Amino acid sequence: MENDELVQNMLLELRRGVLSIAVLSQLSKEEYGYSLLKALANKGMEIDQSTLYPLLRRLESQGLLQSDWRIVDEARPRRYYVISTQGRAVLNKLKREWSTMAETMKQMLT
Amino acid sequence: MSLIDRYIAEVGRHLPEKDRSDIEAEIRSTLEDMLEERSQQTGKSVDDKVIVEVLEQLGNPRLLASKYAPPKRYLIGPGWYEVYVKTLQRVLFTVLPIFAAVTFIIALTENPLDFINAVGEAVGGVFNVGLQILFWITIVFVFLERSGEIPGESLRQKNLTWTVAQLPKLPRKRQISIAETVINIASILFVLIWIVLPFAIARFQGDPVPVPFLHQDLWNFWLPIFFVLMVLTLVHEVFQLKIGNWTPALTVTNVILGLSSIVFTVALVLTQEVINPAFLAMLDRNGASELREVATWSINISAAVIAGIYVWDIVNSIRLARQLAKENSYTVASMQNIGT
Repeated sequence: MENDELVQNMLLELRRGVLSIAVLSQLSKEEYGYSLLKALANKGMEIDQSTLYPLLRRLESQGLLQSDWRIVDEARPRRYYVISTQGRAVLNKLKREWSTMAETMKQMLT
Repeated sequence: MSLIDRYIAEVGRHLPEKDRSDIEAEIRSTLEDMLEERSQQTGKSVDDKVIVEVLEQLGNPRLLASKYAPPKRYLIGPGWYEVYVKTLQRVLFTVLPIFAAVTFIIALTENPLDFINAVGEAVGGVFNVGLQILFWITIVFVFLERSGEIPGESLRQKNLTWTVAQLPKLPRKRQISIAETVINIASILFVLIWIVLPFAIARFQGDPVPVPFLHQDLWNFWLPIFFVLMVLTLVHEVFQLKIGNWTPALTVTNVILGLSSIVFTVALVLTQEVINPAFLAMLDRNGASELREVATWSINISAAVIAGIYVWDIVNSIRLARQLAKENSYTVASMQNIGT
Protein backbone atom coordinates (compact mmCIF):
# COMPACT_ATOMS: atom_id res chain seq x y z
CA MET A 1 0.00 0.00 0.00
CA GLU A 2 2.68 2.47 1.00
CA ASN A 3 4.63 1.71 -2.13
CA ASP A 4 1.55 2.27 -4.26
CA GLU A 5 1.21 5.77 -2.96
CA LEU A 6 4.89 6.43 -3.48
CA VAL A 7 4.66 5.22 -7.06
CA GLN A 8 1.58 7.35 -7.64
CA ASN A 9 3.37 10.47 -6.43
CA MET A 10 6.45 9.78 -8.55
CA LEU A 11 4.33 9.14 -11.63
CA LEU A 12 2.52 12.40 -10.97
CA GLU A 13 5.83 14.25 -10.95
CA LEU A 14 7.06 12.42 -14.02
CA ARG A 15 3.89 13.20 -15.96
CA ARG A 16 3.82 16.85 -14.97
CA GLY A 17 6.67 17.80 -17.27
CA VAL A 18 5.75 15.38 -20.02
CA LEU A 19 2.18 16.64 -20.26
CA SER A 20 3.27 20.14 -21.26
CA ILE A 21 5.25 18.70 -24.16
CA ALA A 22 2.39 16.39 -25.15
CA VAL A 23 -0.10 19.24 -25.16
CA LEU A 24 2.17 21.56 -27.14
CA SER A 25 2.82 18.84 -29.69
CA GLN A 26 -0.88 18.27 -30.33
CA LEU A 27 -1.77 21.90 -30.84
CA SER A 28 -0.24 22.67 -34.21
CA LYS A 29 -3.85 22.48 -35.32
CA GLU A 30 -6.35 24.34 -33.15
CA GLU A 31 -8.45 22.39 -30.67
CA TYR A 32 -10.87 23.19 -27.89
CA GLY A 33 -10.40 21.71 -24.44
CA TYR A 34 -12.57 18.68 -24.77
CA SER A 35 -11.48 17.74 -28.29
CA LEU A 36 -7.85 17.97 -27.21
CA LEU A 37 -8.61 15.72 -24.26
CA LYS A 38 -10.06 13.12 -26.65
CA ALA A 39 -7.19 13.48 -29.08
CA LEU A 40 -4.65 12.90 -26.32
CA ALA A 41 -6.61 9.94 -24.97
CA ASN A 42 -6.79 8.39 -28.44
CA LYS A 43 -3.01 8.50 -28.65
CA GLY A 44 -2.75 6.84 -25.25
CA MET A 45 -2.16 9.89 -23.10
CA GLU A 46 -4.97 9.87 -20.57
CA ILE A 47 -5.23 13.16 -18.75
CA ASP A 48 -7.60 14.48 -16.13
CA GLN A 49 -9.82 17.34 -17.22
CA SER A 50 -9.05 19.15 -14.02
CA THR A 51 -5.38 18.94 -14.98
CA LEU A 52 -5.68 19.74 -18.68
CA TYR A 53 -7.67 22.98 -18.56
CA PRO A 54 -5.53 24.73 -15.98
CA LEU A 55 -2.46 23.53 -17.89
CA LEU A 56 -3.78 25.10 -21.11
CA ARG A 57 -4.28 28.39 -19.33
CA ARG A 58 -0.81 28.28 -17.84
CA LEU A 59 0.81 27.57 -21.20
CA GLU A 60 -1.17 30.44 -22.66
CA SER A 61 -0.12 32.85 -19.93
CA GLN A 62 3.49 31.82 -20.66
CA GLY A 63 2.95 32.84 -24.27
CA LEU A 64 3.30 29.30 -25.66
CA LEU A 65 -0.34 29.06 -26.73
CA GLN A 66 -2.92 31.43 -28.16
CA SER A 67 -6.62 31.11 -27.63
CA ASP A 68 -9.88 32.76 -28.51
CA TRP A 69 -13.59 32.13 -28.19
CA ARG A 70 -15.04 31.14 -31.51
CA ILE A 71 -18.03 29.51 -33.14
CA VAL A 72 -17.12 26.74 -35.55
CA ASP A 73 -19.65 24.79 -37.64
CA GLU A 74 -22.59 26.59 -36.03
CA ALA A 75 -21.84 24.93 -32.72
CA ARG A 76 -21.67 26.67 -29.35
CA PRO A 77 -18.91 29.19 -28.82
CA ARG A 78 -15.83 27.39 -27.58
CA ARG A 79 -12.38 28.41 -26.57
CA TYR A 80 -9.92 27.26 -29.21
CA TYR A 81 -6.24 26.86 -28.43
CA VAL A 82 -3.34 26.78 -30.91
CA ILE A 83 0.43 26.82 -30.50
CA SER A 84 2.14 30.23 -30.86
CA THR A 85 5.38 31.04 -32.68
CA GLN A 86 7.19 31.12 -29.39
CA GLY A 87 5.51 27.87 -28.43
CA ARG A 88 6.77 26.23 -31.62
CA ALA A 89 10.35 27.34 -30.89
CA VAL A 90 10.10 26.06 -27.33
CA LEU A 91 8.57 22.78 -28.48
CA ASN A 92 11.45 22.19 -30.93
CA LYS A 93 14.00 22.61 -28.18
CA LEU A 94 12.02 20.37 -25.86
CA LYS A 95 11.74 17.71 -28.55
CA ARG A 96 15.50 17.59 -28.97
CA GLU A 97 15.97 17.40 -25.20
CA TRP A 98 13.39 14.68 -25.01
CA SER A 99 15.00 12.43 -27.58
CA THR A 100 18.41 12.69 -25.93
CA MET A 101 16.86 12.03 -22.56
CA ALA A 102 14.83 9.10 -23.85
CA GLU A 103 17.94 7.67 -25.48
CA THR A 104 19.94 8.02 -22.25
CA MET A 105 17.20 6.48 -20.16
CA LYS A 106 16.83 3.58 -22.57
CA GLN A 107 20.52 2.78 -22.23
CA MET A 108 20.34 3.10 -18.48
CA LEU A 109 17.33 0.91 -18.04
CA THR A 110 18.30 -1.95 -20.34
CA MET B 1 -30.57 27.39 -9.73
CA SER B 2 -29.47 24.35 -11.71
CA LEU B 3 -26.79 21.94 -10.56
CA ILE B 4 -24.43 23.20 -13.23
CA ASP B 5 -24.86 26.79 -12.11
CA ARG B 6 -24.24 25.79 -8.53
CA TYR B 7 -21.15 23.83 -9.48
CA ILE B 8 -19.71 26.69 -11.52
CA ALA B 9 -20.52 29.20 -8.80
CA GLU B 10 -18.66 27.05 -6.30
CA VAL B 11 -15.59 26.88 -8.53
CA GLY B 12 -15.76 30.63 -9.18
CA ARG B 13 -16.02 31.42 -5.50
CA HIS B 14 -12.48 30.11 -5.04
CA LEU B 15 -10.93 31.84 -8.02
CA PRO B 16 -9.28 35.26 -8.11
CA GLU B 17 -11.75 37.80 -9.42
CA LYS B 18 -9.86 38.79 -12.55
CA ASP B 19 -9.94 35.29 -14.09
CA ARG B 20 -13.28 34.26 -12.68
CA SER B 21 -15.76 34.91 -15.46
CA ASP B 22 -13.37 33.61 -18.12
CA ILE B 23 -12.67 30.33 -16.35
CA GLU B 24 -16.34 29.93 -15.48
CA ALA B 25 -17.27 30.28 -19.15
CA GLU B 26 -14.68 27.70 -20.11
CA ILE B 27 -15.88 25.18 -17.54
CA ARG B 28 -19.46 25.69 -18.65
CA SER B 29 -18.49 25.09 -22.26
CA THR B 30 -16.57 21.95 -21.26
CA LEU B 31 -19.54 20.63 -19.30
CA GLU B 32 -21.75 21.16 -22.31
CA ASP B 33 -19.29 19.23 -24.46
CA MET B 34 -19.27 16.36 -21.98
CA LEU B 35 -23.05 16.28 -21.73
CA GLU B 36 -23.44 16.33 -25.47
CA GLU B 37 -21.08 13.41 -25.86
CA ARG B 38 -22.88 11.41 -23.17
CA SER B 39 -26.25 11.92 -24.74
CA GLN B 40 -24.91 10.92 -28.16
CA GLN B 41 -23.37 7.75 -26.72
CA THR B 42 -26.48 6.68 -24.88
CA GLY B 43 -28.96 8.11 -27.37
CA LYS B 44 -30.85 9.70 -24.50
CA SER B 45 -31.48 13.34 -23.80
CA VAL B 46 -29.58 15.07 -21.03
CA ASP B 47 -31.25 14.61 -17.67
CA ASP B 48 -30.22 15.36 -14.11
CA LYS B 49 -28.71 11.91 -13.67
CA VAL B 50 -26.23 12.51 -16.48
CA ILE B 51 -25.44 15.96 -15.14
CA VAL B 52 -24.62 14.49 -11.75
CA GLU B 53 -22.31 11.92 -13.34
CA VAL B 54 -20.52 14.51 -15.41
CA LEU B 55 -20.06 16.88 -12.48
CA GLU B 56 -18.70 14.10 -10.32
CA GLN B 57 -16.32 13.15 -13.07
CA LEU B 58 -14.99 16.71 -13.05
CA GLY B 59 -14.69 16.40 -9.30
CA ASN B 60 -14.51 18.62 -6.28
CA PRO B 61 -15.02 22.22 -7.43
CA ARG B 62 -12.61 23.57 -4.85
CA LEU B 63 -9.91 21.23 -6.05
CA LEU B 64 -10.58 22.27 -9.64
CA ALA B 65 -10.32 25.92 -8.63
CA SER B 66 -7.10 25.24 -6.74
CA LYS B 67 -5.56 23.85 -9.93
CA TYR B 68 -6.34 27.06 -11.79
CA ALA B 69 -5.17 29.28 -9.00
CA PRO B 70 -2.62 27.50 -6.83
CA PRO B 71 -3.65 27.83 -3.20
CA LYS B 72 -1.88 30.52 -1.30
CA ARG B 73 -2.03 31.73 2.20
CA TYR B 74 -3.66 35.12 2.16
CA LEU B 75 -4.23 37.50 5.02
CA ILE B 76 -7.67 37.86 3.43
CA GLY B 77 -8.08 35.69 0.33
CA PRO B 78 -10.32 35.97 -2.72
CA GLY B 79 -13.09 34.06 -0.95
CA TRP B 80 -13.51 36.83 1.60
CA TYR B 81 -11.96 39.90 0.02
CA GLU B 82 -15.06 41.35 -1.64
CA VAL B 83 -17.19 40.82 1.44
CA TYR B 84 -14.42 42.37 3.51
CA VAL B 85 -14.30 45.53 1.42
CA LYS B 86 -18.07 45.81 1.32
CA THR B 87 -18.38 45.36 5.07
CA LEU B 88 -15.66 47.91 5.71
CA GLN B 89 -17.34 50.45 3.44
CA ARG B 90 -20.73 49.96 4.99
CA VAL B 91 -19.57 50.13 8.58
CA LEU B 92 -17.28 53.11 7.99
CA PHE B 93 -19.89 55.07 6.03
CA THR B 94 -22.52 54.44 8.71
CA VAL B 95 -20.50 54.92 11.85
CA LEU B 96 -18.11 57.72 10.93
CA PRO B 97 -20.62 60.43 9.89
CA ILE B 98 -22.72 59.80 12.99
CA PHE B 99 -19.64 59.80 15.16
CA ALA B 100 -18.35 63.02 13.60
CA ALA B 101 -21.69 64.76 14.09
CA VAL B 102 -22.01 63.66 17.71
CA THR B 103 -18.43 64.65 18.57
CA PHE B 104 -18.91 68.00 16.87
CA ILE B 105 -22.09 68.76 18.81
CA ILE B 106 -20.64 67.65 22.15
CA ALA B 107 -17.51 69.72 21.62
CA LEU B 108 -19.64 72.68 20.68
CA THR B 109 -21.80 72.42 23.79
CA GLU B 110 -18.69 72.26 25.94
CA ASN B 111 -17.08 75.26 24.31
CA PRO B 112 -19.87 77.20 22.61
CA LEU B 113 -18.96 78.99 19.40
CA ASP B 114 -15.49 77.45 19.27
CA PHE B 115 -16.02 75.92 15.83
CA ILE B 116 -12.35 75.33 15.13
CA ASN B 117 -12.02 73.26 18.28
CA ALA B 118 -15.17 71.32 17.44
CA VAL B 119 -14.02 70.53 13.92
CA GLY B 120 -10.65 69.48 15.30
CA GLU B 121 -12.27 67.15 17.82
CA ALA B 122 -14.53 65.66 15.15
CA VAL B 123 -11.70 65.07 12.67
CA GLY B 124 -9.41 63.62 15.32
CA GLY B 125 -12.19 61.40 16.64
CA VAL B 126 -13.12 60.17 13.17
CA PHE B 127 -9.49 59.30 12.51
CA ASN B 128 -9.18 57.30 15.73
CA VAL B 129 -12.50 55.51 15.40
CA GLY B 130 -11.84 54.85 11.71
CA LEU B 131 -8.55 53.17 12.57
CA GLN B 132 -10.23 51.10 15.29
CA ILE B 133 -12.96 49.93 12.91
CA LEU B 134 -10.42 49.13 10.21
CA PHE B 135 -8.31 47.19 12.66
CA TRP B 136 -11.08 45.14 14.26
CA ILE B 137 -12.91 44.29 11.06
CA THR B 138 -9.63 43.21 9.51
CA ILE B 139 -8.93 41.01 12.53
CA VAL B 140 -12.36 39.39 12.24
CA PHE B 141 -11.79 38.60 8.57
CA VAL B 142 -8.29 37.30 9.11
CA PHE B 143 -9.84 34.86 11.59
CA LEU B 144 -12.49 33.87 9.06
CA GLU B 145 -9.81 33.31 6.46
CA ARG B 146 -7.79 31.18 8.85
CA SER B 147 -10.81 29.17 9.94
CA GLY B 148 -11.30 27.77 6.44
CA GLU B 149 -8.93 25.09 5.21
CA ILE B 150 -6.72 25.89 2.29
CA PRO B 151 -7.60 23.86 -0.76
CA GLY B 152 -4.39 21.92 -0.60
CA GLU B 153 -3.24 18.43 0.08
CA SER B 154 -6.12 17.42 2.31
CA LEU B 155 -8.48 18.22 -0.55
CA ARG B 156 -6.74 15.87 -2.90
CA GLN B 157 -7.86 12.97 -0.74
CA LYS B 158 -11.34 14.36 -0.20
CA ASN B 159 -11.77 14.55 -3.96
CA LEU B 160 -12.11 10.79 -4.11
CA THR B 161 -15.36 10.91 -2.22
CA TRP B 162 -16.76 14.16 -3.53
CA THR B 163 -20.38 14.00 -4.65
CA VAL B 164 -22.76 16.55 -6.06
CA ALA B 165 -24.72 16.43 -2.80
CA GLN B 166 -21.82 18.32 -1.23
CA LEU B 167 -22.42 21.40 -3.36
CA PRO B 168 -23.49 24.32 -1.20
CA LYS B 169 -27.23 24.70 -1.32
CA LEU B 170 -27.30 28.44 -1.68
CA PRO B 171 -24.07 29.68 -3.15
CA ARG B 172 -23.27 33.30 -2.40
CA LYS B 173 -26.69 34.01 -0.93
CA ARG B 174 -26.53 34.91 2.72
CA GLN B 175 -29.45 35.35 5.07
CA ILE B 176 -27.34 36.98 7.74
CA SER B 177 -25.85 40.31 6.79
CA ILE B 178 -22.15 40.57 7.48
CA ALA B 179 -22.23 44.28 8.25
CA GLU B 180 -25.01 43.74 10.80
CA THR B 181 -23.12 40.94 12.51
CA VAL B 182 -19.93 42.96 12.65
CA ILE B 183 -21.84 45.89 14.19
CA ASN B 184 -23.35 43.48 16.74
CA ILE B 185 -19.93 42.16 17.65
CA ALA B 186 -18.61 45.70 18.02
CA SER B 187 -21.51 46.71 20.27
CA ILE B 188 -21.06 43.66 22.51
CA LEU B 189 -17.35 44.44 22.86
CA PHE B 190 -18.25 48.04 23.61
CA VAL B 191 -20.71 47.07 26.37
CA LEU B 192 -18.20 44.67 27.92
CA ILE B 193 -15.51 47.34 27.90
CA TRP B 194 -17.91 49.90 29.29
CA ILE B 195 -18.67 47.72 32.29
CA VAL B 196 -15.09 46.71 33.03
CA LEU B 197 -13.38 50.04 32.49
CA PRO B 198 -13.93 53.03 34.70
CA PHE B 199 -16.30 54.62 32.17
CA ALA B 200 -19.07 53.25 34.32
CA ILE B 201 -17.79 55.40 37.12
CA ALA B 202 -19.39 58.81 37.42
CA ARG B 203 -17.82 61.70 39.16
CA PHE B 204 -19.13 65.14 39.70
CA GLN B 205 -16.80 68.05 39.59
CA GLY B 206 -15.38 68.60 43.02
CA ASP B 207 -16.29 65.15 44.27
CA PRO B 208 -13.12 63.58 45.63
CA VAL B 209 -13.98 59.90 45.17
CA PRO B 210 -15.40 58.53 41.91
CA VAL B 211 -18.65 56.59 42.36
CA PRO B 212 -19.45 53.54 40.24
CA PHE B 213 -22.75 53.71 38.42
CA LEU B 214 -23.63 50.02 38.78
CA HIS B 215 -24.47 48.42 42.12
CA GLN B 216 -21.31 46.73 43.29
CA ASP B 217 -23.16 43.71 44.72
CA LEU B 218 -23.94 42.73 41.13
CA TRP B 219 -20.35 41.59 40.78
CA ASN B 220 -21.08 38.67 43.11
CA PHE B 221 -23.45 36.93 40.78
CA TRP B 222 -25.22 38.94 38.10
CA LEU B 223 -22.37 40.55 36.25
CA PRO B 224 -20.35 37.30 35.90
CA ILE B 225 -23.47 35.64 34.45
CA PHE B 226 -23.88 38.62 32.16
CA PHE B 227 -20.30 38.22 30.97
CA VAL B 228 -20.78 34.54 30.24
CA LEU B 229 -23.93 35.34 28.27
CA MET B 230 -22.18 38.07 26.31
CA VAL B 231 -19.16 35.91 25.51
CA LEU B 232 -21.45 33.09 24.33
CA THR B 233 -23.33 35.60 22.21
CA LEU B 234 -20.04 36.83 20.80
CA VAL B 235 -19.03 33.30 19.83
CA HIS B 236 -22.47 32.81 18.30
CA GLU B 237 -22.10 36.00 16.26
CA VAL B 238 -18.79 34.75 14.86
CA PHE B 239 -20.50 31.54 13.79
CA GLN B 240 -23.29 33.57 12.20
CA LEU B 241 -20.64 35.44 10.29
CA LYS B 242 -19.03 32.22 9.12
CA ILE B 243 -22.12 30.17 8.29
CA GLY B 244 -24.22 33.02 6.94
CA ASN B 245 -27.52 31.16 6.99
CA TRP B 246 -29.97 30.17 9.72
CA THR B 247 -29.12 26.48 9.87
CA PRO B 248 -30.98 24.42 12.50
CA ALA B 249 -28.03 24.37 14.92
CA LEU B 250 -27.47 28.09 14.58
CA THR B 251 -31.16 28.85 15.08
CA VAL B 252 -31.61 26.61 18.10
CA THR B 253 -28.58 28.12 19.84
CA ASN B 254 -29.83 31.57 18.90
CA VAL B 255 -33.22 30.90 20.48
CA ILE B 256 -31.63 29.49 23.65
CA LEU B 257 -29.23 32.43 23.96
CA GLY B 258 -31.99 34.93 23.25
CA LEU B 259 -34.40 33.43 25.80
CA SER B 260 -31.63 33.28 28.41
CA SER B 261 -30.82 36.91 27.78
CA ILE B 262 -34.47 37.93 28.10
CA VAL B 263 -34.90 35.96 31.34
CA PHE B 264 -31.66 37.44 32.65
CA THR B 265 -32.58 41.03 31.80
CA VAL B 266 -36.11 40.84 33.19
CA ALA B 267 -35.00 39.04 36.37
CA LEU B 268 -32.19 41.53 36.87
CA VAL B 269 -34.46 44.55 36.64
CA LEU B 270 -37.26 43.02 38.72
CA THR B 271 -35.21 41.59 41.57
CA GLN B 272 -32.07 43.70 41.80
CA GLU B 273 -31.12 47.24 42.46
CA VAL B 274 -29.07 47.95 39.38
CA ILE B 275 -27.91 51.44 40.19
CA ASN B 276 -25.44 51.97 42.99
CA PRO B 277 -27.23 53.64 45.95
CA ALA B 278 -24.06 55.65 46.54
CA PHE B 279 -24.43 56.99 43.01
CA LEU B 280 -28.00 58.06 43.67
CA ALA B 281 -26.92 59.63 46.96
CA MET B 282 -24.29 61.53 45.09
CA LEU B 283 -26.95 62.90 42.78
CA ASP B 284 -28.85 64.09 45.85
CA ARG B 285 -25.77 65.70 47.33
CA ASN B 286 -25.19 67.64 44.17
CA GLY B 287 -28.75 68.88 44.10
CA ALA B 288 -29.72 66.78 41.12
CA SER B 289 -32.18 64.48 42.84
CA GLU B 290 -34.65 64.90 39.99
CA LEU B 291 -32.21 62.77 37.99
CA ARG B 292 -32.95 59.85 40.35
CA GLU B 293 -36.18 59.11 38.53
CA VAL B 294 -34.51 59.52 35.17
CA ALA B 295 -31.76 57.07 36.08
CA THR B 296 -34.17 54.45 37.42
CA TRP B 297 -36.50 54.74 34.47
CA SER B 298 -33.70 54.66 31.93
CA ILE B 299 -32.72 51.27 33.34
CA ASN B 300 -36.27 49.94 33.02
CA ILE B 301 -36.70 51.30 29.53
CA SER B 302 -33.34 49.91 28.39
CA ALA B 303 -34.32 46.51 29.78
CA ALA B 304 -37.62 46.62 27.90
CA VAL B 305 -35.87 47.65 24.67
CA ILE B 306 -33.24 44.93 25.05
CA ALA B 307 -35.92 42.28 25.70
CA GLY B 308 -37.84 43.57 22.67
CA ILE B 309 -34.78 43.33 20.44
CA TYR B 310 -34.17 39.75 21.57
CA VAL B 311 -37.78 38.77 20.91
CA TRP B 312 -37.58 40.24 17.44
CA ASP B 313 -34.25 38.51 16.80
CA ILE B 314 -35.62 35.12 17.92
CA VAL B 315 -38.75 35.43 15.78
CA ASN B 316 -36.73 36.61 12.80
CA SER B 317 -34.20 33.77 13.03
CA ILE B 318 -36.98 31.16 13.27
CA ARG B 319 -38.76 32.67 10.28
CA LEU B 320 -35.59 32.65 8.16
CA ALA B 321 -34.67 29.15 9.34
CA ARG B 322 -38.03 27.82 8.16
CA GLN B 323 -37.55 29.56 4.85
CA LEU B 324 -34.14 27.93 4.50
CA ALA B 325 -35.48 24.49 5.45
CA LYS B 326 -38.17 24.85 2.80
CA GLU B 327 -35.68 25.75 0.08
CA ASN B 328 -33.41 22.89 1.11
CA SER B 329 -36.20 20.34 1.11
CA TYR B 330 -36.81 21.19 -2.55
CA THR B 331 -33.18 20.57 -3.34
CA VAL B 332 -33.09 17.33 -1.39
CA ALA B 333 -36.26 16.11 -3.05
CA SER B 334 -34.91 16.79 -6.52
CA MET B 335 -31.63 15.11 -5.58
CA GLN B 336 -33.48 11.99 -4.45
CA ASN B 337 -35.36 11.88 -7.73
CA ILE B 338 -32.04 11.75 -9.49
CA GLY B 339 -31.22 8.73 -7.42
CA THR B 340 -27.80 9.66 -6.11
